[in-house]
Amino acid sequence: MSAWDPVWHWNVNVLGASFLRLQRLRSRRALERTPEHPHLAPPLETGPRLKELISRHYLKGRHAEGRRPVAWVTSGAPAEFLNALGFCIIYPENHGAVCGIRRVAEGLCGKAEDAGWSRDVCSYARTDIGAALSGETPVGKLPRPDLLLCCTNICQTVLYWYRVLGRHFQAPVVVIDTPFLYGAEAPEHAVDYVRRQIEEAVQVAQNVAGRDLTHQRLREVTRLSKQAIELWGEILSRGRAHPAPLTAFDEFIHLAPVVEMRGEAFTVDYYAAMLAALDERVKKGIGAVKKERRRLVWDNLPVWARVRWLSEKLAERGASLVASTYTNAWAELAPMVDPEKPVESAARVYLHPILNRGPGHKLEVMRRMVRDFGAHGVLLHSDRSCKPYSIGQMDQRERLAADGVPALLLEADHNDPRAFSEEQTATRLAAFLEVLEA
Amino acid sequence: MTDAPAVPPIPRRSEVLAQHKAAGGLAAAVFPGHHPRALLRAFGVLPVEVWGPPGADTTAGDAHLQAYTCPIVRAGLAFALSEAVSAVDMLVVPHTCDSTQGLGALMLDLVRPSRPVLPFYLPRGEGESAVDFLADEIRALHRSLARICGREPSAEALAEAVRAEEEADARFARLLVDRPRIALPDGDFYRVLRSREYLPTARFVAIADSVIAGAPGAPAGVPLLASGMVPEPRGLFDVISRAGAFVAADDYTCTGRRSYRPGIAADPHLRMAESLLSAPPDATRGAPVRARAEHLLALAKRSGARAALFHEVKFCEPEQFYVPQLRRALEEAGLRTLVLETDPVAPLPDQAVTRVEALLETLR
Repeated sequence: MSAWDPVWHWNVNVLGASFLRLQRLRSRRALERTPEHPHLAPPLETGPRLKELISRHYLKGRHAEGRRPVAWVTSGAPAEFLNALGFCIIYPENHGAVCGIRRVAEGLCGKAEDAGWSRDVCSYARTDIGAALSGETPVGKLPRPDLLLCCTNICQTVLYWYRVLGRHFQAPVVVIDTPFLYGAEAPEHAVDYVRRQIEEAVQVAQNVAGRDLTHQRLREVTRLSKQAIELWGEILSRGRAHPAPLTAFDEFIHLAPVVEMRGEAFTVDYYAAMLAALDERVKKGIGAVKKERRRLVWDNLPVWARVRWLSEKLAERGASLVASTYTNAWAELAPMVDPEKPVESAARVYLHPILNRGPGHKLEVMRRMVRDFGAHGVLLHSDRSCKPYSIGQMDQRERLAADGVPALLLEADHNDPRAFSEEQTATRLAAFLEVLEA
Repeated sequence: MTDAPAVPPIPRRSEVLAQHKAAGGLAAAVFPGHHPRALLRAFGVLPVEVWGPPGADTTAGDAHLQAYTCPIVRAGLAFALSEAVSAVDMLVVPHTCDSTQGLGALMLDLVRPSRPVLPFYLPRGEGESAVDFLADEIRALHRSLARICGREPSAEALAEAVRAEEEADARFARLLVDRPRIALPDGDFYRVLRSREYLPTARFVAIADSVIAGAPGAPAGVPLLASGMVPEPRGLFDVISRAGAFVAADDYTCTGRRSYRPGIAADPHLRMAESLLSAPPDATRGAPVRARAEHLLALAKRSGARAALFHEVKFCEPEQFYVPQLRRALEEAGLRTLVLETDPVAPLPDQAVTRVEALLETLR
């Protein structure tokens, strides 16, 4: 796997990059010609650039096999050392989300179910397993992994899922087990355990990549990661403005770079541009929802196949999702990242995401969001496919209501549209918003 | 085949618990999974495991947990919030899966039962770092128990508890290995095995010894391998027996996957950690598929099992993920397989009976 490969360079950096730049210009022109939406502001002008970034990411993956070491990685994993070692990193959860948005997840889930996987297992996993079994994907082609890096700080599900992938691809699975935090802070023996596992994972990754990790490069990647995370936090904070210049639906889409391309200078540049665009909107008083009357907080993953539909349903009623616990997960830990101590700080950082903490912590996050973002209510997506995120919501709803914050539990699934009833959701949302407006 | 011998009298969980409490002892309800029994015993705490139980009313749990949460966890929460919880002094919640994680965290944060909740994280990593972490986790549990109990065991008492549990573990493992040569029907055999979940150590060892010594011969029927979380509802054993088969090899988390080897270290906490991590490959620890497949094939070979029953609990992700690839591995080795999904707190549905009977007919 050489550092410079003429075929790779031609396909990715010359042909592919030119084509994607052209696509970006076309998207921008298309955006300008898009008829005005009655309830939503025009999409952010950085949208075409985002599309280019994501397409380029998958383009690299498409040509990586045999040319770059390839790692498939969970969304909450400490991937900075893989980046520093030159891995092409694929995030199956993000790929699952792309499949959801492109409305192909149901078919891919079906392929996994036909092969014996239960409909009760996570729909991201079913989508991804279906894609692995069939080779079908809306991104052209996914490269075979040389390494699977699984971090359990988002759920245990990823561990079983990666075992399945490891068996299918005959690839090594490196597990970074992050003990669940039942208290406010990680005990020192948990931090030490995670640090040791990261060090062990680096050894495996070096062997796969055939090169040694330089600490200078790891510090640089970690620094860029921290910058991207901080900028992402700034972007989310703009939701506090009245009217909010972006909604959680925008955040769901613009989240991709901080998940799968953090540690890259172009990600930092992209978020800086996005932040500038949002500040411009705030200055001009442009709201993402044209007639913002009610402000809501979203809890849990998006319903990927219905992002647009939900966005329009809420905007029709003047409701804006001004914050989300999900997108905040990639911002809240920025202060803990220390580029000068990349491994030690990673051990602590990656133990503390919201999904590795109890429902009491999540309730406090929602309460803080309601307060800081001036929200009138909370939408709790009870996600059939994500038990660690959903368990506790019934009591969180009661506690919020006791605080005088109405909260609605919406039954759905992040990637299996068969578990989503448009009619029922529309009825429940309408009733909830009527209560809020009363 | 010899006539089935009588099973030694085994008291019920509630009887053992009442006796222990009447004698002034403390008791812990322990939720599913791996946990350091020896540590609880050293504190004089009787661990009584809660795997359902069968027929439990889950209503109180349903008020806090979505319907897509595993029934064992919903029943467990219902128990923790019921009057029945007053029979124990604490609740120990091992981290077995996302749902038990939710159960423990929910009871600590938002739905507080009347008894203290002690979570316990089982590492999914491997090697020295996992053993060291688990030893520290057991030490943390030690400190929590000391706070609740108001006293600590001496070093000798702790070492003795570890030794006694290792002896009981050895008997438990022997029962599992000898199963094809123990002429007890499945229902009786599992009553003996599962008494390990609540009997004091010495009483379990005595019962196990009498079964090992007194029940030579082979059970009647076709040997099967059973894999899953918990062998409930027990009506399944009657169905298997009526259809002319028996469970010769066990890969349940509740039973076969808790067949521990003794630890090596002199330090008791480290020794308990080594022992817990010596258990057979387990879905709840995220074992590699290959390790699990090899283990199942070895079990089948040793026991002569001709078919494998994947006996799953509804919404149990750890188990469900592995089934397709494990089935394939076993079928390639010539074993027939069946996946059966049941609710451990509900009676066995008729459809399950028909499917088990159909599988066994193909083996005749």
